[in-house]
Amino acid sequence: MKLSITDHVHLVEPGDFEPSEHWYPRVLNSNIHPLVSHFLHLTTEQYIERYCRLNPQANPGALKEILNYQPRYFKWSGTDMMHITNNIGAKKLTVIETNSCPSGQKSMPLLDLNVEQGGYKRLIEDTFLPQVEKHDEEGALAVIYDKNPMENVGYASTLADAFGEDVYLAKFDKNDPDPPAKFEDKKLYIRSENDQWIPIRAAFRYVTQEPWNRIPVGSKTLLLNPIEACLAGGRNKSEAFLAYSDFNEKFKADGIGINTPETFLDVELNDIPEYFEALGKSMVIKVPDSNAGQGVYTITSEKELEQAMKALKQNPPEDKYLIQQLIYSNYIDGADKEKAWYHVGTIPDKKNRSYAFDLRLMMHYTSSGIRPLAIYSRRAKLPLNQPMPEGADSWDLYGTNLSVKQTEGWSYDDERLMLYDIRNFANLGLGIDELISGFIQSAMATYAIDQHAIKKFDHVNYEFESINS
Amino acid sequence: MNLKVLIVEDDIVFCKLLTKYLNNNSVNTNDAQSAEAAKKLLAAETFDFVVIDYKLPDEDGLAVLQWMDQEHIEARKILMSRFEDETVIRKATDLGVKKFIKKPIKPNELLELIRELK
Repeated sequence: MKLSITDHVHLVEPGDFEPSEHWYPRVLNSNIHPLVSHFLHLTTEQYIERYCRLNPQANPGALKEILNYQPRYFKWSGTDMMHITNNIGAKKLTVIETNSCPSGQKSMPLLDLNVEQGGYKRLIEDTFLPQVEKHDEEGALAVIYDKNPMENVGYASTLADAFGEDVYLAKFDKNDPDPPAKFEDKKLYIRSENDQWIPIRAAFRYVTQEPWNRIPVGSKTLLLNPIEACLAGGRNKSEAFLAYSDFNEKFKADGIGINTPETFLDVELNDIPEYFEALGKSMVIKVPDSNAGQGVYTITSEKELEQAMKALKQNPPEDKYLIQQLIYSNYIDGADKEKAWYHVGTIPDKKNRSYAFDLRLMMHYTSSGIRPLAIYSRRAKLPLNQPMPEGADSWDLYGTNLSVKQTEGWSYDDERLMLYDIRNFANLGLGIDELISGFIQSAMATYAIDQHAIKKFDHVNYEFESINS
Repeated sequence: MNLKVLIVEDDIVFCKLLTKYLNNNSVNTNDAQSAEAAKKLLAAETFDFVVIDYKLPDEDGLAVLQWMDQEHIEARKILMSRFEDETVIRKATDLGVKKFIKKPIKPNELLELIRELK
């Protein structure tokens, strides 16, 4: 490894992978739960057979189309789901969001103790490498990122090993006035020693903060994922909802659909209070392009509404918001038996505390279709089944994001990370059927967003290719 | 006894990778991403080596070395920079810098240098 070949660029060489640099220490010492390992080893046919047995209305042919689908833009994805139930006990996993730069490798116990690069290797070798080999473009390899260095150094060193060549690791920060990465004529270049710009043929992209401001549609450099995946719903939550709606319409007759909380798009700032009343004085407000828990507000009181409105007024006045039904903390007597969804919650601990948790499932496209890659959960700070402390924020009851914004960068709240290992997994109360159901929900969301990207961008990229051919 | 080293450089990836490498090679290493953070660590702990970048976000590396002199904080000093500026190197030498190293840095070469200068 050559550190700092220029500002914020390092050259990663084959042989640089060090497991302790790319997993949280807790994960390095964990053992995957056998049930999770079994789930990850099932074949596509097994997933479909089991799902259809429990959901007899589902058309196996439609599921086969989805799980064997070859995404054009969205080849690597992650969903956040919640495990919820209603007053008649109809449990399900609901998709909260789908991410085109998902983090998670560092929280995933090794599936095979003899493969020390774990999920990094599966993603790079099964998804990225075959694409790069088919991509006719000159240049070096790179990883461009703006956060999560622990995983991105891991991806860079896995890439270096897989290809047997050096990889440029460049920070492409939105606030950098002179970043070491640039696109010229839709091709990526990385600044190297002596201000020399190196052309890049393929790059692993983990640029999450307004990446559309510096990454073009129709990139000539192969990107995993390209920006189209973000713009079609991999980041923008409103676009994602449109993609899910199209999907649900298309597959209505096949008895399958993406579960989401009730959602309202393009809500003007001044109209937000009306939704608060209409939804029974609780809701979630989302800034469509937000991520890492920033720009998401859970509202359960007039005071929280007032605080959120104050914060949202700092945004540009033309901004519109997404409003979602809040998944309740507990069973509510007298509420609509089918529509009043509440969190299943973790198995109560010895102090009888049960917490809301999410399920992050990462997937990737392989020669065997869409496959699960990594999985973990995060729980909220406060228990669902005990009175909230005076002055506590409802985010502490419902919010599961671990990111903590600090001056030096991003940190996380380790206590709330729930690994799928022999120690933590049972506390979630999930079984293999829930994992299969969650995977199918996630694959459907990925399919939906890729189809939406095709609809939005294929004509643009096709015209671009025609002009340049 | 293990050597104790402080790395001062604003690029957190640089710091974490180098810190990990040196720690794995029995060199007890801390890192700071600004002059201010470096001063706090230097005031609180004793280090055998300070490996500092010339360009930092708040002050330059020489200012930190000068402050160490004023505060009578002793440690062997290594200055890193992308440019071989004669004036900077001369000032650094006057401030007791044992070695000037030009970026990029290969962690194994820095480790060898530390062992050589100890």
